[in-house]
Amino acid sequence: MLENYNALVAALKTLQQEEDPAAEDPVMVTLPMAEDEWYTRPEAVSYGTVRLDFEADALRGDDRKHAIAWEGSVDLFSLVRSGAGWVELITETLTEHCDGAWTLNSHTYERETGLFHWEWAFQIEG
Amino acid sequence: MAFTIKVEGLTELISKMDKAPKNAEKVAAKALYEGAGVMADAVSQAVQGIATEPFKYASRGKTRKPSPEEKALVASAKHGVAKFRKNGMSVNTSVGFQNAGYGQIGNKTKPIPLIANAINSGTSFMQKQPFIRKAFSQKKGAAEAAIEAGILKYEDELEIG
Repeated sequence: MLENYNALVAALKTLQQEEDPAAEDPVMVTLPMAEDEWYTRPEAVSYGTVRLDFEADALRGDDRKHAIAWEGSVDLFSLVRSGAGWVELITETLTEHCDGAWTLNSHTYERETGLFHWEWAFQIEG
Repeated sequence: MAFTIKVEGLTELISKMDKAPKNAEKVAAKALYEGAGVMADAVSQAVQGIATEPFKYASRGKTRKPSPEEKALVASAKHGVAKFRKNGMSVNTSVGFQNAGYGQIGNKTKPIPLIANAINSGTSFMQKQPFIRKAFSQKKGAAEAAIEAGILKYEDELEIG
């Protein structure tokens, strides 16, 4: 349902972790999420984007127009090979909101920018 | 990119195929080809829907759409159904741009599978347009139906041991 998708987006946008757990006064940092469906991207060591690919009634090609699920994807770009802890946080959030219906679709390295790119695809039951 | 289609409710036929190991793979491959064809056609159609804009380097903090030249390369590239792979009694294949080769944009030669992947999955500087995944999701039901129809169509070719 769209409400569940919105809840997932809200949860991803508020992901945060301690910048340096070893520090005496650790600072909580959030994962900057790109806005406006990929038209802007924040300047950050790691940032994420989330996108709904298409509406539920387009999922079946047999003209039944029956709402089954919402599909979309989450992308993480990071200058750090490990993803700086965001990989674990994103997968935990997907598991919580998508009832396990997600998969790591690709993990690539962009030579031009030096960024590592994770792409997860998810479904949310309607 | 791979996907799995599971055909259920054909216990009797599977039992029949179990007794005919000699040519069961051949029949399964023929049926799979019917379904893969549906997917390949869907991908070809989806390529036409890719949004483009005149080429420009992505400005700071912005992403860009693929250029018309990049779209034309992907659209005209050799793509479709990959060579079938056997794994025991199962047969599987892929639909995509694995052997699409290279294309020329300006004075640069670029691998077409990478361009297709950049459009489909997006990059830090190119907007994502998941045309392959969208085509697969939309035509999954039709592909399953085509495979089931293919199995029934070629059922008579099974040589029962």
